[in-house]
Amino acid sequence: MSTLTEENYKSASVRRKRLRQLWIAFLLFPAVTILATFVFLPMISAIWYSVYEWDGLVRGDFVGLANFAEVLFNPQSNKFLFNAFFNNVKVFVTLMIVQNGLALALALLLAREPKGYRFYQVVFFLPVILSTVIIGFQWKLFLNPIFGLVNTFLRMVELDSWALPWLGLPETALGSMLIVNAWHWVGFPTLVFLAAIHRIPKDLIEAARLDGASEWNIARDIIWPLMAPAVTIIVVLTFIGSFNWFEIPYIMGGLEGSPAYSTDMLGLLFYRTAFGSVSAGNSDFGTGSALAVLIFIFIFTFSTIATRYLTSREVELS
Amino acid sequence: MAQIELRGVTKQFGDVKVIHGADLVIEGNEFVVFVGPSGCGKSTLLRLLSGLEEQTAGEIYIDGERIDHLPPAKRGLAMVFQSYALYPHMTVFENMSYALRVAKKSKAFIAEKVGEAAETLQLTELLDRKPKALSGGQRQRVAIGRAIVRDPRVFLFDEPLSNLDAKLRVQMRIELTNLHQQLKTTMIYVTHDQVEAMTMADKIVVMRSGNIEQVGAPLELFKKPANKFVAGFIGSPAMNFFDGHVTKIDNQYHQIRLANGVEFVCKLSNQKLSVNDRVHLGLRPESLTPNVKGDGTFKGTSSTVERLGAQTYIYLKTEIGEDIIVHHLGDLEIKSGESIEVSFNIAECHLFGPDEQRIEIDG
Amino acid sequence: MTNLKRLATSAILGAATFAYAGTALAQTELSFWSWRQEDVKAYNQIIAAFEEQNPDISVTFTAHEAKSYNTILTTALAGGAGPDIMHTRSYGSLEAIAAPGYLEPLDGQIDLSALSADELLGTTLRADGHVYAVPFASQTALVFYNKDLFEKHNVDVPATWEEFKAAADAFKQNNVNPLANGIADGWTAEVMAGALMPNFYGKEFFGEVTSGSADFEDPRFVGALEKIAELKDYMPTGYEGVDYATMKQLFIAGQAAMFVGGSFEIPGFVESGVNFDIMPAPAAKAGDERMVATWLDGGYGVNASSENKEAALKFIQFTATQPFAQMLSDKLANVPAVDGAVIADPMLAKVSAFHAEASPYIMLVGFRFNTPTGSTLLQNGLQELLTGKKTAAEVAKDVSDGIKSAK
Repeated sequence: MSTLTEENYKSASVRRKRLRQLWIAFLLFPAVTILATFVFLPMISAIWYSVYEWDGLVRGDFVGLANFAEVLFNPQSNKFLFNAFFNNVKVFVTLMIVQNGLALALALLLAREPKGYRFYQVVFFLPVILSTVIIGFQWKLFLNPIFGLVNTFLRMVELDSWALPWLGLPETALGSMLIVNAWHWVGFPTLVFLAAIHRIPKDLIEAARLDGASEWNIARDIIWPLMAPAVTIIVVLTFIGSFNWFEIPYIMGGLEGSPAYSTDMLGLLFYRTAFGSVSAGNSDFGTGSALAVLIFIFIFTFSTIATRYLTSREVELS
Repeated sequence: MAQIELRGVTKQFGDVKVIHGADLVIEGNEFVVFVGPSGCGKSTLLRLLSGLEEQTAGEIYIDGERIDHLPPAKRGLAMVFQSYALYPHMTVFENMSYALRVAKKSKAFIAEKVGEAAETLQLTELLDRKPKALSGGQRQRVAIGRAIVRDPRVFLFDEPLSNLDAKLRVQMRIELTNLHQQLKTTMIYVTHDQVEAMTMADKIVVMRSGNIEQVGAPLELFKKPANKFVAGFIGSPAMNFFDGHVTKIDNQYHQIRLANGVEFVCKLSNQKLSVNDRVHLGLRPESLTPNVKGDGTFKGTSSTVERLGAQTYIYLKTEIGEDIIVHHLGDLEIKSGESIEVSFNIAECHLFGPDEQRIEIDG
Repeated sequence: MTNLKRLATSAILGAATFAYAGTALAQTELSFWSWRQEDVKAYNQIIAAFEEQNPDISVTFTAHEAKSYNTILTTALAGGAGPDIMHTRSYGSLEAIAAPGYLEPLDGQIDLSALSADELLGTTLRADGHVYAVPFASQTALVFYNKDLFEKHNVDVPATWEEFKAAADAFKQNNVNPLANGIADGWTAEVMAGALMPNFYGKEFFGEVTSGSADFEDPRFVGALEKIAELKDYMPTGYEGVDYATMKQLFIAGQAAMFVGGSFEIPGFVESGVNFDIMPAPAAKAGDERMVATWLDGGYGVNASSENKEAALKFIQFTATQPFAQMLSDKLANVPAVDGAVIADPMLAKVSAFHAEASPYIMLVGFRFNTPTGSTLLQNGLQELLTGKKTAAEVAKDVSDGIKSAK
């Protein structure tokens, strides 16, 4: 009798286990399907495309790594690659300093809950929910050298010499776009940083204050190390975002990274190469896909390394 | 050796007054415990002292120097938090040395100071560990060590033992008392646990809803509680209270009749009680003795009896439903449900007037 | 219950009737894609005229966003979902879809006799010599000028480069922008240079550079670029950031006296009410030729895998006839590629007359077949030239190197 119940029990537990597995599979199904359709499939097809010669949209012969060699070593193509790549590097460095630095400063300020901080929190976050396309167009109008708000204002306060054609000069175009991007996105890292700061027990800050730490000491010695997980997230997201930067430069500088490729980005270069444009020439899926694969490998490798390194300096808040 | 003085210290959060003008003098080298139920303002008072909160009105002095306008670090106080508030990303050494590093002390000085404190607290072996790798008691010691290295004039403890288990709590209580004797500094200790207060304090400050109810040595509070609240709060198990009123006054002899029918006469000098005034009789559980004649006797039915061998606790219910706890030294063979009589002597009674303030009994 | 039954019966009957009606009016439905969003109304009128003559064919005109039209079209064609008939671009962009075989060769299937060989060149695949689209209109790069401003400031309409610069100086002194042009949008810089340069590099240069007997480092081309660099002084303040929309706004609002652009601006300027006229780019010096730059805007092609090829060819044949050309001229203010249309609009007639002295719009007609295209190289070079980053000689060398490396 006892063995029978045990067996019954066993089979019931096996059944339960199976049901559980089925349930897990069921819950995973939509996510896996979406991931497979919109992430893995395009990725694999890009790798597939990149080893063929393409005549427009018609697949030609298998060419091995020739497309990669073309992108990387042909001086006529790799000068665009390097130019775009260094522009992306500039974007990353600038956004890290300007956008995330500002976000950190804002988060530290807001964390002290000054009067009306909830209002400011909303104000800083508001641009994040606006459409990038709208922001791009809006700021393109603001920065118009003749009719734009920015120069009209500068002329009004008699800073005529400052009223530059912001988006027209190779020296200022990228910087202007980065400021727009920072304006657009600063609320996001601010919010993440703020949440991280709020997670730090108040006692720790007070203990430091009693230990004689200045506000700067507290920010540097206590808050900064303890918000490491948030910093990891933001650094990695900024990295990925910087090297995939597309919408703002596309809308404000066009597909050719105008003026004179000073706002050219890997994303724009890929788009031009793969799909062509009215003036840039015809679409070439082969080199375009090779470029996409290279961009992917670069971003994947570096964000993985960065995540590993940054995670190692995180501390659990007990 | 720091003397602390509070003059009319008031704290208000918005419209809510949480400290109603506290006046208090703490002598140098004293171990003072702020005790009271949660929400009584004891922690707030401590935070006002530390400078983490700013008082709405009043003045705070240390050794005659007014300090209430100084930032926390400049007051020469160190605080041990209930949560220990150890910096989780720093080792024990870094935790303990942080204040000195911020103050830009020399490396040698820091090493010596921390070494000394670690020695005192038996933390030398743990200096390279992070807080996560420490037990609760060890963390507690690190928190104390962090305070010690700063050579503060006053130590502030905010319920430091409440996160420890019972056994460790007893041990830490002893360690803290020893530490106080060793360091000879003023210590202010906040707790809601009257046992901690009784065992550790030189002086207890009992607080209730933002008011200081009584200040005194532990046994003084136990023996002569200033009012019904202090009487009920100090002592464990808590004092039994009986409602009653004055039925007859003959010269200084007052006849008092309790709600449960018990009557007794006591001599009260300097009293303005009149007939029919409500009074409260307080009797500690150990002042009630079963099966012996006294000045008054309660009848009750035992609901629960706890026989521990060396002592016995009897929980009684009187005929009108009052709960009485009796503490008897030695064993007593009583069954629950049994009807028994307990009596008291006038000398051991605490009497509180209509305003719940203490009335001195002369016999 | 009976009610429900009745309802079901009538529903079935209704559906059947509908299906019947459908077969009775059986028509070949053709889809027609274009990038001319501003021409939808006119095209629907033209299509209505065609449908009147061919009641068995109905055509649905869909206009896509111009900037991404090539991508949309090529992607659709590659995916087998393309339209039956489509507006194609010309030259290199045509080859991009003709070479993979997406387009039906038209020569031999329809009558192309109303078109000149020059115009057919723009829709011919160089590799096989077949014509893949019926050319629809030519465009011309020229100079627009504001008649009121010239009158008001007493400036003579210039005929030579010296006069052009003198006129520009005169406007400048009167605080009027001589030119509306900016360079924020690379293609407007190419149109500007494309309009002005031929009179400096001369009639023969195009033939020589396309045949390979000359390259872009040729002194004639460098010299022409140097003249373009001189325009810096005559463009609006902040011209580096002045985009296409701003250029038009400046000209329409009377804030700029001249606008170097394509003939496709005419309808817009007419509609805006600005009192303007057009002229060919100034001659290098008095007595020299005064050419306009022209190119074929595009054509009408047939999807090689269309299921309604017969009907589609019928429509395409229609586009190669005089009545169509007439409508194109009347309704769309285009200079039609098909001969025989009487151009009623005086402005268009003028453009057409300019064609007597014309040179191909160099980069589009000659160098948009490979990557990098001449247009990309020149647009970027012009931005560098006009922002002072590079000299004319350096830009010419970049263009030349780029063209030689293109494939």
